[in-house]
Amino acid sequence: MKYMLLMTGTNSDFQSYANWSKEDLQANMTFMRAFSKELKDAGVYVSTEGLAFPDQAKIVRAGPHGEPITDGVFPESKEFLAGFWVIDVEGPEQAYKIAARLSGAPGPGGRAPGAMPIEVRRVLNGAEEIAR
Amino acid sequence: MKYILMMNSIRAGVEGYKAWPEKDRDRHYAFLQSFNQDLRDSGEFIETHPLGSPQEAVTVRAGKDGAPVTDGVFPESKEFLLGYWIVDVESPQRAYEIAARLSAGPGPGGVPTNMPIEVRQIMTGRGEELIAKAAKTERK
Repeated sequence: MKYMLLMTGTNSDFQSYANWSKEDLQANMTFMRAFSKELKDAGVYVSTEGLAFPDQAKIVRAGPHGEPITDGVFPESKEFLAGFWVIDVEGPEQAYKIAARLSGAPGPGGRAPGAMPIEVRRVLNGAEEIAR
Repeated sequence: MKYILMMNSIRAGVEGYKAWPEKDRDRHYAFLQSFNQDLRDSGEFIETHPLGSPQEAVTVRAGKDGAPVTDGVFPESKEFLLGYWIVDVESPQRAYEIAARLSAGPGPGGVPTNMPIEVRQIMTGRGEELIAKAAKTERK
């Protein structure tokens, strides 16, 4: 079963992340690299991506002639996706264990593990898998 | 340039979609299939996946001993990712065009859903850039 682990944050969370010290960023990166390697070694890794900061985020809708109408204004409370991991595991419990490990990633000044919530979602293979 | 196009909705929106007549859902699926095929034909397609129902969504935090602490309660206003597309395009404008086409997909009665699509650039490896920037700032 495939699961997606989503790391999200508000605009102000992104801003504080951008201001972490070099040491804190490096400690976090080292953790992330080790985490990805563990997933690969365990044979559960599918993919991971990091997203650009939300200052370039746009909401797009189709205009009357199908042309894109873009909007870049969001409420302060808007949760932006920062990055995700897709894993292929035996079941939800294994996905939760892996998410808990990610939640324990080091933050600024050795932040307590568990400070970061990770959203866990099933990934379906295609439209045919959606409950109809 | 890689972009992710995200279809987000609150739970109430998902319930609304489930209530579409079968004919409307079939038309929407047919649209998505030709949308995906067009992206494959233009060489811009990387991947797409729908996500499971928000009813199954869980937030996980590490407990004191590192054990997972799960929580399935979310505010009504919480936006859930319902599905995503990753495309490789020449410019942000092209990503917006593709998103607009998705937004114009047929809803009930064939009327465009006009669904908002969140468009974000993918920048895997951003961490290295931040460290370089932090190092620069600290040297000053």
